[in-house]
Amino acid sequence: MEGPQLKHVPPTAAHHLLSDAPEVAPSELNDTVQSLPSNAVKDLLSQEICARCIFRLFGVQGHIYSCSLLSSSTMSYIIGGPTDLSGDTMDSCFRKCENLSSSKDPKCDAKLCSLCLGILQFKFSCDTRTQLNKNTPDAVAVLIADMVREDGHQIDSFSLEVSVPPVIVENDNAIQSYMRTRYGAEPWFQEKLHFGCVSTKDALKFSIVYPLENLLGCKSNMNSFRIRLTCGLSNSSKGARKCPEGDKSCKRIKTGLDNGVGVTYDSMVSHIECSDSSKVESNLDGEKPFNSLLEMSSKLCGMFLEKVIGPCHFTVYCCRAPIYFGGRYLKYSRNVSQTRWIIDDERMGEASVEEIIGENILQRCHGDSYKFHAAGREDIDVRMLGPGRPFLVEVQNVRLVPSDSFVKDLEKLINNLESKLVGVKNLKLVGSHGWNVMREGEAEKQKQYAALVWISRPLNDEDLQSVSSLKDLKILQRTPIRVLHRRSPLEREKIIHWMKIETVAGSSQYFLLHLCTQAGTYIKEFVHGDLGRTHPSIGTILGCRAEILQLDVTNVKMDCFLP
Amino acid sequence: MSTEEQSIDETNNSESRAQNHEQEELDEDLRLLLLPDASSLPQTPPSAVESNFVTYFALDFMKPGHDQYVCRHANGLCVIGLASSHIAFKDEGGITAVDFNVGKSDRSGFKVTGKRKKNAQHFESNTALCKVSTCNDSFIVRCCVKGSLLEVNQQLIKQPDLLNTSADREGYIAIIMPKPADWLKIKASLVDVQEYKKLRQVS
Repeated sequence: MEGPQLKHVPPTAAHHLLSDAPEVAPSELNDTVQSLPSNAVKDLLSQEICARCIFRLFGVQGHIYSCSLLSSSTMSYIIGGPTDLSGDTMDSCFRKCENLSSSKDPKCDAKLCSLCLGILQFKFSCDTRTQLNKNTPDAVAVLIADMVREDGHQIDSFSLEVSVPPVIVENDNAIQSYMRTRYGAEPWFQEKLHFGCVSTKDALKFSIVYPLENLLGCKSNMNSFRIRLTCGLSNSSKGARKCPEGDKSCKRIKTGLDNGVGVTYDSMVSHIECSDSSKVESNLDGEKPFNSLLEMSSKLCGMFLEKVIGPCHFTVYCCRAPIYFGGRYLKYSRNVSQTRWIIDDERMGEASVEEIIGENILQRCHGDSYKFHAAGREDIDVRMLGPGRPFLVEVQNVRLVPSDSFVKDLEKLINNLESKLVGVKNLKLVGSHGWNVMREGEAEKQKQYAALVWISRPLNDEDLQSVSSLKDLKILQRTPIRVLHRRSPLEREKIIHWMKIETVAGSSQYFLLHLCTQAGTYIKEFVHGDLGRTHPSIGTILGCRAEILQLDVTNVKMDCFLP
Repeated sequence: MSTEEQSIDETNNSESRAQNHEQEELDEDLRLLLLPDASSLPQTPPSAVESNFVTYFALDFMKPGHDQYVCRHANGLCVIGLASSHIAFKDEGGITAVDFNVGKSDRSGFKVTGKRKKNAQHFESNTALCKVSTCNDSFIVRCCVKGSLLEVNQQLIKQPDLLNTSADREGYIAIIMPKPADWLKIKASLVDVQEYKKLRQVS
């Protein structure tokens, strides 16, 4: 069976698509900006708060964030300029502004937004692995799509997760207090800020998800393929800022730059409200009291938000959540261990069930790694026959999610391996609950065996009867000597549910013993008696010496992974 | 048979019939896999002890005629017992009693617990394990191997005759866990099965 070809997402064609046909028309951008109170917008712009953060504060949502024309300069232009420009001129003006704001020319570099630390301006630190060619949402989407393609992922949908530094949340709380204080009395306040501030995380998602859906050719939802964007404080932006967690008001923030201690606006406000408006106590070391509310507020707005030293570090990580294969395995060899077994760099046995099944699944699904789990185990020299033993293979970060027919082919592949050491039945994809299904009742389940037994005297008819007449026989097993070095010395009571002797043609002292026992019973010791430490044993029941030559598991009675 | 007995009998029969049916569920493929080839089976297969342990002997341990065996499992545990050439067996009537109360404590009284067996007693190779008595005499049985005493065969207290019938299996004396270094030291003074057969002229 050939490995499936991984689908290509052509990169350059898509880049070209994006810039030619922006989803957001300039007129929509114009209208949205115009709908905001211009005095507040101008104030915020002058505080060097970026366009997307301004949208956020007014509860704007949706794909407008992904508009590549959206920037401080275009917003400034719209707010300041005339409102009835014709479509053409508007567009070309916007583009001029856009080129200015997104260019890499340091002279045109807009200041980093103190609210989002440049995240919503798509300005990231130089130690970001791959440089963005432009500071636009499209460029970020292209970066992500290229990564997904290069890693060979085949996806039919994705989920986008964003993580931002905690200080961003503090900043949002602070700016909202400021807005409340400054504009609370305004007629538009209740209506415009009714929905509350959109978080930086959500705004980033709004910015990126639409171009990303275009590039990847699929929708975003709760999916097992996860794209995680992490914005972290890079070394340059960290300074010595410490942001205490939890409590939203009255925080004290230490800064590395200021010699004193910066105080959040909330505590300042509460203090001011208590005192005479003309006389304000200064909480800041060495600062003169403010003359007017306005002067104070504008200064504070700049001061309480930490001076942003540098942009954030931006990383993209994409991977698929683990998938689970369930089924039953058979082991035909007496020289194959269940799991990889290596002592002093030497492998015990010639192979392992874990590796035979796990490696084949891993390769065909193009995963990163796998974990093998089984419901119980058998010794290396014991065959696992009959319906097989339930197992689970967990595969990390597969590049494609297999279809039902793919899984059937995978089962055939493993069963047709030349070595014929291991077989697989009922292979299928199961949810993560497969683990619970397997573990449930593992200790209670019965197991069935066939043992090749030799006794020190010829078998007679009474023997067959005396053995098969024993139902639910209780035996006491002391921890077998062969495992006593690593298990507690205990005496365990076990039940042999039934037994049946099958004679072997051509031999009077050998027979096949079929038996069904409680989980956890040591069969070999039940046959040879383990120096009398398992009692009763086949030897004591038949009144002679008994030895076991071979053992096979013929059934593991569990309800999971059946056809 | 009375009617009551008859109906009980019938119920029993149908129960066992149901179980038999379950037992005969093995399908043909499985049956074929399970069938051994009688011609390839040895007349007498090696015993569990022979397959899983390597047997050594300590001859004249501290006293002439005090021959003991040390059966070492691949996992390092040692089963200690009386070799068939031990002089105790030469007495008329063989061994009649076994007493674990020797030295400073009763060896049969102590319970070892836990995976690491940290509470096991540490003995030297010449520490006494038990005393075996015959009609005329008694003999001290010793550890032969320095290590932690995991278990003594308490069956011997009630059934000392096990030593006479199967000293090499159900009549074992104790199980000791030596440290790897201690095993190597003592191994040098032990003889293997072939050596033993030559020296004691046992077949």
